[in-house]
Amino acid sequence: MIELKNLSRQFGEMWAVRDLNLTINKGEFCVLVGTSGCGKSTTLRMINRLIEHSAGEIHIDGQPVRGFREDLLRRRIGYVIQHVGLFPHWTVARNIGLVPRLLGWEPERIAARVDELMALLGMSAERFSGKYPRQLSGGQAQRVGVARALAADPEILLMDEPFGALDPLTRDGLQEELLSLHHRLNKTIVFVTHDMDEALRLADRLVVMHEGQIRQQGRPIELLREPVDEFVESLLGGNSRGLKEAALTPVAQRLCHAEMTSGVPDIDANKTLRDALSLMLWHRVDCLNVVEGSESLGTLRLADVVTARAPMGTTRGLSS
Amino acid sequence: MSRLRGLTVPLVWLGLLLAACVGMDQLEPVFRWLEPSSRSVIYARADFLSLLGKHVLVVSVAGALSIIIGVGASIAVTRQWGRDFLPLVAQVAAIGQTFPPVAVLALAVPVLGFGTLPVIVALLLYGLLPIVRNTLAGLQGVSADVREAARGMGMRPHQRLWRVEMPLAASVIVAGIRTSVTISIATAAIGATMGASNLGDPIISGIVNGNTAHVLQGALLIALLALCVDSLFAWLQSGRSGL
Repeated sequence: MIELKNLSRQFGEMWAVRDLNLTINKGEFCVLVGTSGCGKSTTLRMINRLIEHSAGEIHIDGQPVRGFREDLLRRRIGYVIQHVGLFPHWTVARNIGLVPRLLGWEPERIAARVDELMALLGMSAERFSGKYPRQLSGGQAQRVGVARALAADPEILLMDEPFGALDPLTRDGLQEELLSLHHRLNKTIVFVTHDMDEALRLADRLVVMHEGQIRQQGRPIELLREPVDEFVESLLGGNSRGLKEAALTPVAQRLCHAEMTSGVPDIDANKTLRDALSLMLWHRVDCLNVVEGSESLGTLRLADVVTARAPMGTTRGLSS
Repeated sequence: MSRLRGLTVPLVWLGLLLAACVGMDQLEPVFRWLEPSSRSVIYARADFLSLLGKHVLVVSVAGALSIIIGVGASIAVTRQWGRDFLPLVAQVAAIGQTFPPVAVLALAVPVLGFGTLPVIVALLLYGLLPIVRNTLAGLQGVSADVREAARGMGMRPHQRLWRVEMPLAASVIVAGIRTSVTISIATAAIGATMGASNLGDPIISGIVNGNTAHVLQGALLIALLALCVDSLFAWLQSGRSGL
């Protein structure tokens, strides 16, 4: 568990972060979003003390971070940055094994761990372990970056816009893999991004920051439905929030007709309502067959997509 | 093995250099043709090998000191605690580079007198500049992302310096040392005017006595020494450029 209490950071006269309170539970995927200069990166980097806080406290599992020697603290926290920062004079295997080596692991144990991580990230150890960073594509380099951060099996992973420099297709694939890694490994992840689609897709807890403070936090769907003010509303996409919400809702959740319809396209039950809408628009139909693998589950009608069970609480509607 | 094969070129130059030192007498007919009227055509006041030894010694001592001081100062001013002195050191290095070496030697004599010492000091001061400039460029050329990652992974300051920054800056630093040492080999010859005995002796005495053969003998040996050392550095750099 990470607790930030009345956290502040001042650069000269300016407050980068001011009086921020946030609790991130163990195993939670917490995404900090906001415009440039809102203090999200500063907040992240204060957790592993790359930036020291000016006031307030940071506790990890109840212990203040200032109680650790900084390098020892950082070896316990995985860290991934946008431009990866692999060491160009080291091979992939050596890059991944850095933190275990700093911790004084036996060479055999490090080698085994490196192989395990490369397998975990879908990279063939045989093909990649001897390569140098300049021989990797952007996506491969960031996989190595993530493997390096996970090497000593830290409880916490800090990620500062890790996919910001990748092409959309690679980014999409890595987001998918990160989600599945998170489910398997149950790490606490703190992730900074300014890409709202990425934030909505990944977050268990979404934290919207503005001018060094938290404007709103909660589950993505809650923020979409009930933004506290116009800033949060516009950051979350304004009038396109409908589609963003659709992108968070699986088709299976709206499936209520068991019978099959003939002559309409299929959609996988794991896809989202956004995909369903897109298919309907493309094929100019108003219903789809929902399938899971080769098994048919029923029909999804346009009305099912549009009219949901009434959401909880008061709703801020889209302005017309 | 291919790494060692790169040593062929420096070894060839070294062989030629030693052969020229030992066998200069064999070239007497050539020098006699150049200088038919002189009494002695082969410089004989001192043995070429011992002049070479002294030359190498002076350059090595001055070079080693420049490396220690130059690299040390550059490392210091690129650390967090020494950052305040970075502009000062960078500017001194830039200004110093515009000073001709002869002027440095001329200025050193009144302070340190004649002999080997002022030559070492002059070479040291002049040799500092390319080293400082290149070490600073090399260390500052390490990308911010790499440095950020090194800190973020929990490397201690000395680990970041010796395992990341220095290896990445090495080829640029070696290039600076190469320039510095090569210039020193040539500049040291001027030291002969200040009573330091080295391969500059035949040149200076040849100029004073109007004996072109002596000038050529000194120049030939200095050129061979410079080529030998320079190719040795080229070999060192080629081992690093794969990074």
